[in-house]
Amino acid sequence: MLFEDNDFDINMAFFIPDLSISRHTNILNPTEGFLKGNMFQDEYEPYKNFTYFKLNPKDEKERLLYQVMALSFAINDLNLYLDLHPDAKEVLDLFQKYVKDEKELRAIYVKKYGPLEVTEVTSNKFNWIDSPWPWDSKGGSMYV
Amino acid sequence: MFKYVKYTNYPINIKKKDLRMAKYLITQFGGANGELGAAMRYFSQKFSMPDDYGKALLNDIATEELGHCEMIASMVHQLTKNATIKELEEAGLGGMYTEHGKGIYPTNSNGVPFTVTYFAVTGDPLAYIMEDMAAEQKARATYENLINLTDDEDIIRILLFLRQREVVHYNRFKELFMYYKKKGY
Repeated sequence: MLFEDNDFDINMAFFIPDLSISRHTNILNPTEGFLKGNMFQDEYEPYKNFTYFKLNPKDEKERLLYQVMALSFAINDLNLYLDLHPDAKEVLDLFQKYVKDEKELRAIYVKKYGPLEVTEVTSNKFNWIDSPWPWDSKGGSMYV
Repeated sequence: MFKYVKYTNYPINIKKKDLRMAKYLITQFGGANGELGAAMRYFSQKFSMPDDYGKALLNDIATEELGHCEMIASMVHQLTKNATIKELEEAGLGGMYTEHGKGIYPTNSNGVPFTVTYFAVTGDPLAYIMEDMAAEQKARATYENLINLTDDEDIIRILLFLRQREVVHYNRFKELFMYYKKKGY
């Protein structure tokens, strides 16, 4: 054995978590977390000298959608953390707050601009099929 | 069961046609280190995870990665949408056009189709999570290579976001790996 007292040397470099205890967390607000792609400031690793780009919504609809997306992002990232730390009370509280916020904001969006999930069809017409779909070009220029 | 939500994880709004980048980017859909491999790897592995931490984490990251497949495919679609056949040929995409028209088909940057041999299912939780950590690092490195190949901010902003997700997933997998080591799996 190369490492008598250490079955696998990669352990040396790793923080060994205790999943029953929540660690100190440094959680960003949903907007900043969304732009950075990471809700946890202490785990954020920018590439080279890039930080992140601001979003420039072109109208009210896009602005509202980006807010829903930011909350949805925050929910997803806290979800992954909570998978391993289900007893982290303060993270769970934040998670539940964002779930509530997302629900409220999404209801406003859906009422004004149409469904984001098929069960949210509200009009007499089945407007789920209406463009734009997420992969469609939005406000494309002469190039796209 | 999955529910579809009518938006991407991060906005995709590419304004400039760029066939060169489309050819490179497609690898993050159908290449060895791409999102389809990631999604299917975690999806397949989740069935033999030993506890609720592992089941939940693999299930939830697999779901997110499916969304990332859609993001990459959307980018390639927007980058190629209005290309002429001549432009596709000049960009080295004549073969792709012959086989797939302007459809989005999962290959790597060299046109090699996706294959499930890109990932492993061993039934062993430590082997799983160690592979998953490596997969996240390889995807991160590939995103960095892609960022180095363009100066279009519409593309870079999305790649930075997706790269950061690899960092996050790596950290979660690392936590789980160390927990399993400690538990003696």
